[in-house]
Amino acid sequence: MDWHGTATSEGPRQRWIDFANARQKDLGCFLQIDPALGAVETAPKGPLAGVPFGVKDNIAVRSFRLTCGSRILKDFVSPYTATAVRRLQQAGAVVAGKTNLDEFGMGSSTENSALMETRNPWDPRRVPGGSSGGSAAAVAGGLVAFGLGSDTGGSVRQPASFCGVYGLKPTWGSVSRFGLVAYASSLEVIGVMAKTVDMTEAVFTVMRGQDSMDHSSLPWQPPAEKTGPLRIGVPCEVADVPLHPDVKKTFLRTRGMLKDLGYELAEVPFPTLDHVVSSYYVIAMAEASANLARFDGVRYGYRTPRADNPEAMTIASRTEGFGDEVKLRILLGTYVLRSGFQDEYYLRAQKIRTAIRRDFERAFADVDLVLMPVYPVPPFERGGAESDPFSQKLADIFTCAANLAGLPALSFPAGLENGLPIGMQFLAPAFAEGRLFAACRQLEKVFPSPDAPGFPTGWR
Amino acid sequence: MDAGELTETARMARLNLSEEERERLRAAVEQMLAYFSHMREIDVAGLEPTTHALLRENRLRQDVGADPSDSDTLLGNAPEREERFIVIPNVL
Repeated sequence: MDWHGTATSEGPRQRWIDFANARQKDLGCFLQIDPALGAVETAPKGPLAGVPFGVKDNIAVRSFRLTCGSRILKDFVSPYTATAVRRLQQAGAVVAGKTNLDEFGMGSSTENSALMETRNPWDPRRVPGGSSGGSAAAVAGGLVAFGLGSDTGGSVRQPASFCGVYGLKPTWGSVSRFGLVAYASSLEVIGVMAKTVDMTEAVFTVMRGQDSMDHSSLPWQPPAEKTGPLRIGVPCEVADVPLHPDVKKTFLRTRGMLKDLGYELAEVPFPTLDHVVSSYYVIAMAEASANLARFDGVRYGYRTPRADNPEAMTIASRTEGFGDEVKLRILLGTYVLRSGFQDEYYLRAQKIRTAIRRDFERAFADVDLVLMPVYPVPPFERGGAESDPFSQKLADIFTCAANLAGLPALSFPAGLENGLPIGMQFLAPAFAEGRLFAACRQLEKVFPSPDAPGFPTGWR
Repeated sequence: MDAGELTETARMARLNLSEEERERLRAAVEQMLAYFSHMREIDVAGLEPTTHALLRENRLRQDVGADPSDSDTLLGNAPEREERFIVIPNVL
């Protein structure tokens, strides 16, 4: 479906808005939906002219709320626009609204949002994944052409996989984080979800590049492209991780498809795989405890009405404003940074992070891409019976290694089992996003993103 | 983590946990710490810690003023204000 002009030409615009408002009632993807407000700051021309998109509600868009799915920012209105969004607006794309997420990006189901429930377009009893679940559901439901998310440990790729769309986690630093509310700064990056490889790449091409507003942003510096058939590595240790039968079946079928397409497959050792989740959570929680210290009830955000001194005000505002998962991560992050415990947890996790990077360096000396599942189980039901918060953390095993090493990864739809989409992912060396797109484009010809029930046919 | 340590960690994190919350969170905290203890199995001798995967050197810019953000909108997000001052409860 061609989305160009949808948000700007009169007839298609009205048909699209009516559809999006109706589907929003079923899916609950958006925390705020306001294409008229979004159109105000958009350039009339550009490679994405009139293309509507959703922005995860931890990414700033001027005049829109910026809630992070949290009570503590429920009424916060952003005074400025994130660089990634501004570049898309300059390319003609139109913000349709702000999408739901796990509070501050902490979760894998979007159930940790304090503000709304989001449903998976493939089965409303199931979660859309997370934490960028609102953007994934909006793309899979056909409400927008693409969605922005943030990926700290899998938060773009896992919901993309749960909803049957593409999800790119770019090289760390390749997209400016100016305007992204900080959770774990050394791990996270703004990414994109879309129904096609072309759209995913087009959006990334517009967003990427150094930005004077983000000191850690890096100039775009792609490696020389490989010629001839690519070699794809599969970490041997994946075989030790229990996979749901449907995920396993899809993983094996994808390997077969790649061989049929002429790729060479090789096993690569990845001995640190078993330790990526510990290392990831220690580092993510430590950074979260520092980043979320800024919410003090003084300058912005929720302030308790019951406090008679500043200290009590800060403590009560935080205690009443944050949800359980956020409190858990702040507590653990504070603990692992306490003097006396730092060496055992934080420093050790950072050293393991070095070992993980070395595993990747060794792998990419031998192969051009690494293939892994995205998540060990298919989309699960809401309510925690099929997957509790602890199991959800362990299930980040395939996604969080890319964040620890700063590498790009692209989650692609690889199967539809029992009516539910299942994704796989490629990982590549830094700035080799082009290789990810090339391989996924080959697979897309054989297995494109499947249309979820109720997916629209177009707006013309 | 015993109850005293949890209370002390919460104090450092500027959180005030109710009795019921303390019980609930303590179970989750212990579960994670037990899981983190697996990190001891890996030999980290000789490994430098990684703080950032792809950090470059400092970039300097000219020390000149830039357009400030819209200060009225910024102040508009303050929970309580008097003209251009943010109000908080009495310090003394």
